[in-house]
Amino acid sequence: MTIDPPSDPLLRLRSVTVAFGGLVALAGVDLDVVQGERLAVLGPNGAGKTTLFNAVAGDIRPTGGTVEIRGVDCTLLPSRRRPTLGLARTYQKTRLFAGLSVEDNLYLAQCGKEGSHFKLWRHGREAFWRERARVAAGRVWLSDQFDVLVGDLSHGQQRQLEVGMAVVTQPDVMMLDEPASGLSRGERERLTELLTDLAAEETLLLIEHDMDVALKVAERVVVMADGEVVASGTPDEIRGDPLVQEIYLGRQR
Amino acid sequence: MTGRPSTGTMVISAVVALLVLLPAFGSDFFIDFVMTRTMMLGLAASTIVFLSAYGGMVSLAQWLIFGVSGFMIGNAVAEAGHGLKLGWNPWVAVIFALGIATAVAFVLGALSARTIGIYYLMLTLTYAVIGFLFFGQVTTFSGFGGVTGLDPPGFFLDHPKRLYYAGVVLSVIAYVTFRAVARTSFGIALQGIRDDPVRMSSLGFNVPMHRMLAFTLAGFVAAIAGVLNVWWNGQIDPTSISIGPTLDLLIIAVIGGIAHLEGAWLGAFVFVAANNYLRDLPLVDNIGITEARFNTVIGALVLLIMVLSPDGLMGIIEKVRAAGRRVLGGPTGPTTAAPEPRLRRTSS
Repeated sequence: MTIDPPSDPLLRLRSVTVAFGGLVALAGVDLDVVQGERLAVLGPNGAGKTTLFNAVAGDIRPTGGTVEIRGVDCTLLPSRRRPTLGLARTYQKTRLFAGLSVEDNLYLAQCGKEGSHFKLWRHGREAFWRERARVAAGRVWLSDQFDVLVGDLSHGQQRQLEVGMAVVTQPDVMMLDEPASGLSRGERERLTELLTDLAAEETLLLIEHDMDVALKVAERVVVMADGEVVASGTPDEIRGDPLVQEIYLGRQR
Repeated sequence: MTGRPSTGTMVISAVVALLVLLPAFGSDFFIDFVMTRTMMLGLAASTIVFLSAYGGMVSLAQWLIFGVSGFMIGNAVAEAGHGLKLGWNPWVAVIFALGIATAVAFVLGALSARTIGIYYLMLTLTYAVIGFLFFGQVTTFSGFGGVTGLDPPGFFLDHPKRLYYAGVVLSVIAYVTFRAVARTSFGIALQGIRDDPVRMSSLGFNVPMHRMLAFTLAGFVAAIAGVLNVWWNGQIDPTSISIGPTLDLLIIAVIGGIAHLEGAWLGAFVFVAANNYLRDLPLVDNIGITEARFNTVIGALVLLIMVLSPDGLMGIIEKVRAAGRRVLGGPTGPTTAAPEPRLRRTSS
């Protein structure tokens, strides 16, 4: 199935291929995402969703194809060049700084995007970043844990902070890899609220197994299987798509 | 956050005050052979702790940088014997030695910036071995006989207490600097790299560059310790930077507690005190040559401390403090009981 290429995409993937030796994890994915779009990527385990994220975020280098952000070909650009292009991602398996406080984790996320990595003195933006960290902690319900070491947070709180790490930098493209996993029902509802409340110009790419979250937040859904995009459409279309039902629920005997 | 200094700050201030007053009642031997060496070795070991606790890099090359600095002093000031025999002013030699040693640290840091964990340890051990063999075999700079007859600048000549005070002052500066650096953007980023380098890259940080700069800073401090060492010793030879002493510095850091900056000096004190006072114990006396005796003593000591507390003496102190707090009913909590570099930020 092909996707109508919208005009002037923020993110443009052309036949992106990733192979680990003989295993083809992504078999030529084409994808366009326009500014402000809310896109959910669905698919069973091993479909290549996280690999797609890794290729876009630069954590792995695609074996073929191109990744463009705002028209800049950054297929071979290392991951550390992406935040300045407006990209922020979270990880399916929490990747936080366990020895630092919630505040310092959120501080580092902004520091990484906006430079001043090597400063040995306090600078003008420091107070601003600390304040923004406080606001972001509030948005992921961690105000009371602001000074706590991340290693001492519960699993659910760490998942919340994982989302906060992307939210705090106010990126143009936010890529969330299973943000709802490990959250309680109430926290999932609040997460859905947080994601639907994002500013209209913010672009969101979401991998999520929880259909309640994914289909409520997304405007467009892309379904992957075996490294390929097999279906695409609005949440309602996807809900009724027999192919999607087959992939998720298995073939009817 | 509050104006009141923490207990830790008060204890450290008290220790520094004690160190300043020490020459008034300590014997000359104690000051010169125990405390001056403690300050020098502590200063050198603190660079291992800094890299390990804040950067997650356990480096065996710190003693090499320490040695490079010493050899450069030797080559610059000596007027006869081995080496370059430049016969420079001792203060010019200091600038020269610190410059060369820091440059060496920069290059070695760049070479190992993409290496982590056990591979980092092995790579830095390789540097140490190369350095030992280099100064042993390249007679232009030293040869196995070493560079001898090196006088410190006139200010320190025949004034062992002044050298001791130099050690104290430089140690305090290094300690305060390392602690302050840990709270800057650079230092927080370094701790982020310790915890998860992949996430740091994806946040936009240049991870190898951070590792290299941290190693260079640590190298500069180790080089300062190396200068003090050569002034104290009056000579330097390649055997003093062989694998044995290289590992001794790591042992010092581990005895004190490799997660705590203070531990470097504490470990150095225990190491030097054991070296000076424990070799004449009755049973140990039977082992023959002094070096083997000392290694037995220090080996047993390390074993004992590791069994009691993997986090060294500072770990034991933390445990006692936590127990005291429980008994006295003072404030407890997961953040206050965390090891030193993981302490929550007290200023913001």
